[in-house]
Amino acid sequence: MNSIIVSALMGMVMMFSGIVTNSKQSIKNIAIAAMAVLLVAHLADANDIFKININVHGMLNFNRFGMYFTTLVIGATLLYTIISGDEVVKVGANSADYFALIFFVLTGVSILASYNNLLMLFLGIEILTIPLFVLTGSDKKNLKSNEASLKYFLMGSFSTGIMLMGIALYYGASGNFNIDVNRVANEPVNSGILIPLGLLLMFIALAFKVSAAPFHFWTPDVYDGAPTVFTSFMATIVKAAGFIAFIRLFESRSADMGVSWTILMPVIIIATLLVGNVTAVFQQSVKRMLAYSSIAQAGFMLFALVGLNDVAKEGLLLYTVAYSIATIGIFSILLKMKDYTFEGYNGLAKTQPLLAFANTVFLLSLAGIPLTAGFFAKYYVLAAALKQDTSILWLVIVALVFAAISAYYYFKVIQAMYFKDGEAAVSEIKPSFKLTLLLLAAIIIIVGIFPTVVFNWFYF
Amino acid sequence: MSATQILFWILSVVALFSAIMVLLSKNPVHSVLWLIAVFFSISGHYILLNAQFLAIVNMIVYAGAIMVLFLFVVMLMNLNKETEPQKNLWLKLAGVVSGGCLLMILVSLIRQASEVTNKQVLLKDGNIGLIKNLGKALFSDYVVPFEISSVLFLSAMIGAVVIGKKN
Repeated sequence: MNSIIVSALMGMVMMFSGIVTNSKQSIKNIAIAAMAVLLVAHLADANDIFKININVHGMLNFNRFGMYFTTLVIGATLLYTIISGDEVVKVGANSADYFALIFFVLTGVSILASYNNLLMLFLGIEILTIPLFVLTGSDKKNLKSNEASLKYFLMGSFSTGIMLMGIALYYGASGNFNIDVNRVANEPVNSGILIPLGLLLMFIALAFKVSAAPFHFWTPDVYDGAPTVFTSFMATIVKAAGFIAFIRLFESRSADMGVSWTILMPVIIIATLLVGNVTAVFQQSVKRMLAYSSIAQAGFMLFALVGLNDVAKEGLLLYTVAYSIATIGIFSILLKMKDYTFEGYNGLAKTQPLLAFANTVFLLSLAGIPLTAGFFAKYYVLAAALKQDTSILWLVIVALVFAAISAYYYFKVIQAMYFKDGEAAVSEIKPSFKLTLLLLAAIIIIVGIFPTVVFNWFYF
Repeated sequence: MSATQILFWILSVVALFSAIMVLLSKNPVHSVLWLIAVFFSISGHYILLNAQFLAIVNMIVYAGAIMVLFLFVVMLMNLNKETEPQKNLWLKLAGVVSGGCLLMILVSLIRQASEVTNKQVLLKDGNIGLIKNLGKALFSDYVVPFEISSVLFLSAMIGAVVIGKKN
């Protein structure tokens, strides 16, 4: 509960900080401090040191997995604020409000990591997305940003409508909004068409939020049109939050979907991997390539939903860390580039060896090369699926083939940085930026060598 | 006839007459105004059914907000004879199909009506639609979502300011 309340409060603090000061530097520093306060408050909650106790009437259920996930997400957002805070305040005149919206998104994430009731799921999803519509359109002078924002808003509204229809059907059939994250053993499977249909509609709406094919069409345009700092935020923290909502809902309720669940998942996964990877190969712009790569990565994260066991949860946590940190790092480097095409990276290794090295680590992690966090993230989600059902082996092999394809377009960036001649135009880089970048790269490598450091905290 | 029955018949006649006028009016602005009359008479029906909250919400949301939006759209589009869009065959067919679906539901409802006549349709003591009970539910069982939705509205308001403010 701490994280929900404190993040909302910190959002308001950010709102009012815009009145008190006009200095962008101090707004950024306030945001970092507020994020640190939020992290501390949440850790105090997770370790039973200080809890705000409110009678939630069973609508929220704070279990260990959700709490730990929230910790990781707040930690990733703190790193994001430190490394990209300078760029956030540059987007427009209302820099304090952008941070306020980011805090409200975190409120949504905390709700999604602890909901036990479809009402809270709906509120969480809405609190998560409405600030994003605004952040997408925050670059008001840029026509692409406006278009992306409008597109995202219209499509997002439709998906919300579909989710509400699903919740209504579920409510009509079961008589309450509770989904009981901890399903009672031997609870009878619901018969009838309404509950599976309701769950299917909710599945579609959530698949839209995590941009799984065939509900991914908004992703490239929105990620490409949005200001790059906010793309970085959307592609990492928000996407991970979509998956926690997914896994909480279907952990207990996938049994109600019956056999349609076992047919649905492979179809969605293969479509997502196919669309994400194959289209990413043909992109000229690194930003757009990353948008498609985020679709492809969603395909791997969906394997956690096939598994739906403890290994899958570990895998999702690991994937959240590996994918978020790597993508935040890549985007922070992309923000320093003057030219967003692959050619823009030519010869970066000569002018900025440290940036090129860190970028290589992040890209290798996304491709899933051993000794980086991405390898174990992929390993755990795939192993979880296999543990649940060995007949799914063919799907795992398909996923591995697509992982090999993904290596091609990630390596294209590495090739441009190291083996092509050119003068990569880079804007001014502070020493503190380099330091944070090294920290991110270190996290990727440490988690890649000792993946259990992430879980030790989970089980301690 | 009791007062309730007299009111019921008057409201029904007003509702049906206004609904027909919505269709028959040549001027779209008049159609929208007749539609507001329909919503008001339906709100009257809700009050007869002891659902005051629904009646008020129906007036505020439909007759107030949505109809004003309709009026804005109609006025902005400046609909008149010359700019009337061409109605092609497919559009007419789609209209027939969707209208037919509604008709089917209405017919099946009327057919089932004989099964529920003279049966108890009240939930508990019939006071479930009163604002008092709704308020109690909202501020006891559902107080957490009620309070959290304020964050949603706050972020939407910030959004409106961020997008709408002149730099």
